[in-house]
Amino acid sequence: MEPQMLIEPASAAGVPAPMWFIEFFKVLGFTLHAVPMNLWYAGLLIALWLHLGGNEHGRRFAARLLRQMPIIVAYGVNLGIVPLLFVQLGYHQFFYPATILMAWFWLAIVGLLIPAYYGVYLYAWALRDGHEGVAGWKKLVGWCAALFFIAIGFLFANGWSLMEHVQRWPELFNAHNIAGAALGTALNTGDPTLWPRWLLMFGLALGTTAVWVLVDTAWLNAGCGDEYRRWAWSFARKLYTAGMIWAAAAGAWYVFGTWPPELRATMFEYPMVILTVLTALAPGLPWLLMMTAGWCPAKRATVAAAAVAQFGVLGINAVSRQIVQNVNLRDYGDVLAQPTDVQWSPLVMFLLVFVLGLAVVGWMIAQIRRCDA
Amino acid sequence: MHYPWWYVPHLTAPMLIAVISVVHVLVSHYAVGGGLFLAVEVQHAYRTRDRSYLDYLRRHAAFFILLTVVFGAITGVGIWWTIGLASPLATEVLIRTFVFGWATEWVFFVIELTAALIFYYYWTRLPQKTHVAIGWIYALAAWISLVLITGITAFMVNPGGWLDRPNFWTAFFNPQFLPQTIARTGGALLLSSLYVYLHASLTIREERLRDMVAARSARPALLGAVLISLGGLGWYYFLPASAKAALASAAALNVLVVLIFALTVVVFFLLYLGPYRNPGWLSPGFAASLCLFGIAAFSTGEFIREAVRKPFVVYNVVLGNQVFPDEVPRLQQQGYLEGGVWTKPFVAERYPQVMVEEWIEGPRMLKRIDGSRLLKLPPKDRAALGEVLFQYHCNDCHAAREGYSAVGPLLRGKSRDMVLQTVQHLEAAQFFMPAWAGTPEEAELMTDYLMSISPPRLEGMRVGTRSADK
Repeated sequence: MEPQMLIEPASAAGVPAPMWFIEFFKVLGFTLHAVPMNLWYAGLLIALWLHLGGNEHGRRFAARLLRQMPIIVAYGVNLGIVPLLFVQLGYHQFFYPATILMAWFWLAIVGLLIPAYYGVYLYAWALRDGHEGVAGWKKLVGWCAALFFIAIGFLFANGWSLMEHVQRWPELFNAHNIAGAALGTALNTGDPTLWPRWLLMFGLALGTTAVWVLVDTAWLNAGCGDEYRRWAWSFARKLYTAGMIWAAAAGAWYVFGTWPPELRATMFEYPMVILTVLTALAPGLPWLLMMTAGWCPAKRATVAAAAVAQFGVLGINAVSRQIVQNVNLRDYGDVLAQPTDVQWSPLVMFLLVFVLGLAVVGWMIAQIRRCDA
Repeated sequence: MHYPWWYVPHLTAPMLIAVISVVHVLVSHYAVGGGLFLAVEVQHAYRTRDRSYLDYLRRHAAFFILLTVVFGAITGVGIWWTIGLASPLATEVLIRTFVFGWATEWVFFVIELTAALIFYYYWTRLPQKTHVAIGWIYALAAWISLVLITGITAFMVNPGGWLDRPNFWTAFFNPQFLPQTIARTGGALLLSSLYVYLHASLTIREERLRDMVAARSARPALLGAVLISLGGLGWYYFLPASAKAALASAAALNVLVVLIFALTVVVFFLLYLGPYRNPGWLSPGFAASLCLFGIAAFSTGEFIREAVRKPFVVYNVVLGNQVFPDEVPRLQQQGYLEGGVWTKPFVAERYPQVMVEEWIEGPRMLKRIDGSRLLKLPPKDRAALGEVLFQYHCNDCHAAREGYSAVGPLLRGKSRDMVLQTVQHLEAAQFFMPAWAGTPEEAELMTDYLMSISPPRLEGMRVGTRSADK
């Protein structure tokens, strides 16, 4: 079975937006989604660990992050809609078969997310009564939620790796079908890229959590005191360093251990090599900012710079992922060359509503800032 | 045909969409109506300085957040998940047509989410005016998101002028748009009142407050019931002829239509006699009954809305078995197995003896499935390939031996000729079935498979004819 035969030809009707627009919103949406997603992916685990056995400051930070977690999850899920919408628009011929092959596992994401989300609420609302308000069984629910989120990450890594490795489809289809219909029970565990991809995201998530420790301390927990600030800086540095080492190890495994020669040749040739190197070095910038900052407790400018830099790390990672995806899919059809039939007036409507929406959200945030002040 | 078919035992994959959709709409309508309830009632409570009512509304807001922001939002994602898995071609078409409608709806989701969280978490900290304003922002954003998604789901029932002038606006402002928007707005008002009654009856001890909640939510609920009825009439009026005929001819749908009418009448009178005339009746038992009747009516309505589209997922655009109607003549010529992106490689790998080399394209020898060779396969293999055809051509609506609308029992006791005739003229056998989209040889294979799963005629039935009364 040749994998090329399993791709639906591009529709003559054409995609309703320029491909650069689709790619832009797919990457931007993923980057925005990655910030809260990183916080529930690694941050929840860190918070639960600190809440269980951390020192006074650690428990204090843990309680803060756990109370924030329902809101973080809400925005993470919401922001995930954007890349999901645009991947289905521009990459439907790859996305649908891959997810159908693993349909039950793909659907399990929804089944895991609902209890995980309620678990987070349970823990957060139990903390209203202080640390003692969290009964043993509620702690257990919190840990289950964290494990569910990690499992969801694993399933997503399966879906995305399967989507761009069409060569895996025939083997999985042959092993998981009944009379030519997919059973939906395939997992892409035989794909060597799956594991480093999954682990790489965890490393990045540790870094984002570290930066969040500082953002929370600098802006959201203004009256926390110098001692707590010192702990936060110290903890964030250690956590970011650990995340960076983790991401470097997983990234090296991914690039040098699993990339096929053609992909490596493309990504290490000029001009792509610039992007590859920048992606690899990017975590160094927030790390340097955090390591070179002094112990002064109110370095909001440094925290802001680190936060912007970390967003850049996630953004450049998303850009690189997108390019690697396109290169991997090149043999099965050039997605960027799909015919287009742009719906200009709905596109303009969306952009206008987008701006209006930002203004409304901005106004609401201004109200609560005034209130907090 | 364009994508691999997902086999879901017993239930069939599209029924998963129906299950998740029904569960979702029961919460999503409350997300709209409940937002309006909170905005109006918080404003009222501030104006009348009713502290105990404000306390109740705050508790209700917590319940609202837990149900809509978590369960409602994630089951909404669940619909996306299942439509992509069970109905990928239709989803592809819908996304291509409405991507900016969905993107715009997402912006309103962001506004809704932000407003809902601020409304709840800053309850006592915001100035009253700002608090109420944020409540209204939520209510408006939620209603606009209802309008946006209704344009898309209504398109599936009747695309109207889009078939001649395919663009976003003709698709969105389809004949079903206005009636369904009216009905769904009514549904949001009614369902939210029923949730409020249930919540209030279980959590409010103070009789005065409980009576007040009952009385104040009665008018929106009754208005909702009226809007549902008006929208329902419009929905029926603007149904395509095939959908009206399906409603009239399918026994199950007949029963369901009567059921929904009866349930709506029951809910209306319970609302009128209970909360509207006698607010003191609002006990947990009464509220639970009202809620159950309302949910039953709503679920039945959603099921009917899905069922009348047969044989289409999108009327005249995508057939239920994931084929474009325009593709059917080609498939009848070329073969369904040959034309399927996933069926052809499957057959080529499992049954290489049916492949013939036909032409050279570039350096490659291409192969195609030869119809006459299919008929020369041993009976077991013919039935096995018939099962492949069944999965892709029929399993969207029918389980095989047992399960949802299983074909085997439907064909009980039929002769091979009768089954073959049915397969070759599906759209004539039942007008709400798609046409057979394969070659005559493939119809033979399908018949072989169907005969292998159809049970014999039951013994002991006397209907008066010698052949049957054996």
